[in-house]
Amino acid sequence: MLAPALAIFIAYRLAPLFWNMVLSVQHWSMFQAPTFAGLYHYRELFLYDDTLRQSFENTLIYLASSPIAIAIAFALALLLDRPLRARGLYRAIFFISYPVMTVVVAVIWQWLFHEKVGLVNHVLLSTGIVGKPLHFLQDDQLALGAVIVASMWQVIGLYMIILLTGLQSIPATLKQAAASDGAGPWQRFRHITLPLMRPSIFLCVVVAIVNSFAAFDLVYVMTDGGPGHASEMMITYIYDVAFSLGRFDYAAALTIFNFAFFMMLAWFANRMAGGDAGGGDGR
Amino acid sequence: MSEPILLLASGRRWLRSLALSFLVTICACSSDSAAPPTTLYVLTFNMPHMEAEFSLWAKEFRRLHPGFDVQQIDRKGSNWAAYYHTQVIAGTAPDIIDTQGAIWLQYASQGGLLDLSRYLERDRDFTNQFYPELIESWRYGGKNYGVPLYFTKTLLFYNKQMFKEAGLTQPPRSFAELMSHARKLAGTGRYGFMTLNFDWLYWPLFAMNDIRLVTPDCKRAAFNTPAARMLIEELAAATAEGIISPTSWTGRWVEPNGMFAAGNVGMFNAHSTALLWIMSNAQWVNEGSVGFAQMPGDWSVPNAHALHISASTRYPEQAWDFIKIVTQGSGALAFGKKLNSPTGNRVVNAQLREYFAQTNPMVLDVLGTQFEYLDRMVANWPLARDTEIKHAFYPEIQSAILGNKSAADALASAERKVNHILSRPGGIPEDCG
Repeated sequence: MLAPALAIFIAYRLAPLFWNMVLSVQHWSMFQAPTFAGLYHYRELFLYDDTLRQSFENTLIYLASSPIAIAIAFALALLLDRPLRARGLYRAIFFISYPVMTVVVAVIWQWLFHEKVGLVNHVLLSTGIVGKPLHFLQDDQLALGAVIVASMWQVIGLYMIILLTGLQSIPATLKQAAASDGAGPWQRFRHITLPLMRPSIFLCVVVAIVNSFAAFDLVYVMTDGGPGHASEMMITYIYDVAFSLGRFDYAAALTIFNFAFFMMLAWFANRMAGGDAGGGDGR
Repeated sequence: MSEPILLLASGRRWLRSLALSFLVTICACSSDSAAPPTTLYVLTFNMPHMEAEFSLWAKEFRRLHPGFDVQQIDRKGSNWAAYYHTQVIAGTAPDIIDTQGAIWLQYASQGGLLDLSRYLERDRDFTNQFYPELIESWRYGGKNYGVPLYFTKTLLFYNKQMFKEAGLTQPPRSFAELMSHARKLAGTGRYGFMTLNFDWLYWPLFAMNDIRLVTPDCKRAAFNTPAARMLIEELAAATAEGIISPTSWTGRWVEPNGMFAAGNVGMFNAHSTALLWIMSNAQWVNEGSVGFAQMPGDWSVPNAHALHISASTRYPEQAWDFIKIVTQGSGALAFGKKLNSPTGNRVVNAQLREYFAQTNPMVLDVLGTQFEYLDRMVANWPLARDTEIKHAFYPEIQSAILGNKSAADALASAERKVNHILSRPGGIPEDCG
């Protein structure tokens, strides 16, 4: 029964990963026979590549913004878990950004951040917060933040649905029992809701990690990693090295580095969530 | 015979008849119809507007080589390399590629392009039509890898009305004068100077301050000097003060051209094809309103296109013939007329001059400047890893000019990266420098 799924997993996941490992220890050019390079590319990666450092830091910043998105989504989920008129409509409105194609989201936010016709600059100027338009996507200090805001806007809907599903799976009797024992709203949230939401929060964290390491289309369309490498992410940098520079061997070494870090993070997140993909009892 | 056996026998007959008729049909088809033409693929660099001209070239090619066809695949500049690299890896490299700038060096150095020296030597009548300096531009390691398709180099365009209002009568003749002109031209909502930044087009600013990218033997970086530090600090200060447009360092093509077309920029360092873009987007641009001159010191950066043949092509002779159709005679003339740009072919350029004298005197004047001071062309170093060096160098300089890093740090960081790239085996031809 598992064979077809396993075959696909091997063909599309393990085989490319293995091929990347092989490629990363070779001098490989598009037109010449490969030669063994040993750890040459890894040495370059750790000793010379400032862009890697910057794109790695940017990826971590991108990832670090996830708790904010998850917190906002949690607040929305708590609000929409209450008996509310037109609750379904609100849920649909908050979720609608997620199914929108990422490229479309990028174009929408490019316009919103535009220095001449963008809504964001219009609001900032008309409220007197800034004196002249901000070049969000061309500014070294603002470009990454602008991309993160767009990303949060898109993914909050998904987090909200995941968390809402988690909230609805908590038996109402537990809260009622706690209330009758004299537990206040904060205590009920702290000691009942939050622990039981752990699997849902873990799922959001995993989605956030995956999003951070796969944040290609949004960055590519909005800033192309620029200005300079100010909004460069690991994934856009790997693409650039492979396809713009034609250095597939070095890009393979970057991919292995990226993969190793990704695995470490996933393992760490799993440990934090109780050691059984967030669903176990923590033993 | 019983009924089922009769039916079976009859079924077998039908089956035999059917198989026979299939065979007859296949034979008839293969004998009557002609084999489909063999197609040569040509990958062009940001030339979607050349479809009509391409059809003419294809028609001429089919006349010369019946049984062959040619197909254009065009990709935007930003997507061109990704497309080409994936095609090469898939083993389906286009037969002919059109490159811009110095990207071809990487492919030539790795054996991806066909050495055209033999063809250029054999067809002397064809080769002699080209400017020898341009033919030399596509030499790497003693071999020729490209035939020039069109040729442009950078110029300084200036807004005559803004010059008049600032009391300026002549374009600048030195870097100091360039900056003082820029200061006089800048004002509310107006910038004094702007430059294109891709493909080293800003390098005249470095050349006029006597800064070199690499040592004469091309083995080490040579740009981390006090002069470079001073230059970057001056450019950063002028950018921060609004004298130089920040778009110079962040925009690619449409944004800076659009700003000059809007009439708010005094001087613009751009290659001559930018003029075509600007003219098509601004009614006010004509010989009375926009002037042009060589950059101070007559420094310029070439930004030409050339056609190359992939080493993997199975049809090198046919590919060579297609290149000849495009780069000489009526084929090249059609190209030059469409692009308002000189080709690499002297004979064709003489015809283009006559054509522009009647249709567009401003283009004629610009065209006249393109073959002056060819000995002052810079940023055309024969480094196979030019693209990598550009990727390592520019973001550092950009960061310093935009005020996010000190000039000293940016230069030191760029130097370390460039030296590492140069130290990797291969990539520097023996005749470099």
